Amino acid sequence: MASEATPRISAKYLDSFTNQIVRILGKVVSLRGETATIDANGSINLHLNRDAHLSLNNAVEVVGKVQPDLSVKVLQATDFGGNIDFNAVEAVVDATHRYKEIFYESND
Amino acid sequence: MDYGGGYSTTSYGAQGGAGGGGFMGGSQGGSQGGAGKGTYGKDTLRPVTIKQILDAQQPHPDAEFKIDDVEITQITFVGQIRNISTQTTNITYKLDDGTGTVEAKQWIDADAGTSMDITSDGSVSKPKLVENEWARVWGRLKAFNNKRHVGVHVIRPITDKMDITYHLLEATYVHLYFTKGSLDTIKQENGTANGNQEVGYGGGGGDTSMNGLRIPNVSMNAKRVYQVLKESPQNNEGLHVQNIAALASMNVAEVLKAGDELLSHSMIFTTVDDNTWALLEF
Repeated sequence: MASEATPRISAKYLDSFTNQIVRILGKVVSLRGETATIDANGSINLHLNRDAHLSLNNAVEVVGKVQPDLSVKVLQATDFGGNIDFNAVEAVVDATHRYKEIFYESND
Repeated sequence: MDYGGGYSTTSYGAQGGAGGGGFMGGSQGGSQGGAGKGTYGKDTLRPVTIKQILDAQQPHPDAEFKIDDVEITQITFVGQIRNISTQTTNITYKLDDGTGTVEAKQWIDADAGTSMDITSDGSVSKPKLVENEWARVWGRLKAFNNKRHVGVHVIRPITDKMDITYHLLEATYVHLYFTKGSLDTIKQENGTANGNQEVGYGGGGGDTSMNGLRIPNVSMNAKRVYQVLKESPQNNEGLHVQNIAALASMNVAEVLKAGDELLSHSMIFTTVDDNTWALLEF
């Protein structure tokens, strides 16, 4: 069960989650065919899959695997519209790691 | 002729006949059984993450589940719908909120016939639930054959995605309330500590202090017992568990557990017998 958890992270947590599946909510800043860049408290490069439909300037929630080069391979992307308060989103990311006992199983 | 009379002699038959399915009878009985045990008056609706649902403790079968050592009755959570499986008696939704995955079962009320319409035809007034969209559930945690699921009272699609963010923050807040105490208490404690002695902000992570005395990270109940022992008039024999229970309006089992915690931290000691405690002050 625990392995199914996808911790919510933002750009600054990428390097502690390499090769893991995470959940990132960010704003789409650029789209270039197979790849895209989102802003989640810092910019993150995405490698898109075929079913991912991103809209420029909208928020998107991505479930994906963090690559060794800190880009993210998208497994699933859900459009979250244009009305997202990213301060609250960052607060959730912060709470996720500060009080991880209710969010995900960690090795330490 | 005497249709009703015939059935009323066996309550089982009557239930089956009227409900149109054994499962309906069962689920009704289940939730009402809980109410009968006296939990009805203290029903709560707690926002939780799915990981908290999976980690919930059940002291013994049939007991209410506990999260952070507090009984839960009704819960609410959010999740992305991973799978919808429609059966004759229920619809099972598999939900994932990023902290875990849990199944939520909604029993189909054959008489009302409304829940059925969700899947057969989107034109009814009921909102549509589709895979990969987010939903919010209100329900009750059940265990069946060692497998946990949530008995759904209401399940609705989430229209404003910010609800997910707010829900997770709310679940965190309630978790912290039960494990570390209310925001007011913590502020007060920190205030006193900083005023009375040199307890820096640095300690904030692990320890909290109460009335100038450093106390380890103990449960809410243990803090309450400690508080009672500190504030209640007593002689050098301290207070008996029964008295503490009455003063703290907790039950004896909870007080005993809290006492064990405080004993293990050497914050209290036993006096005339094992169940009479006094503060270990120095």
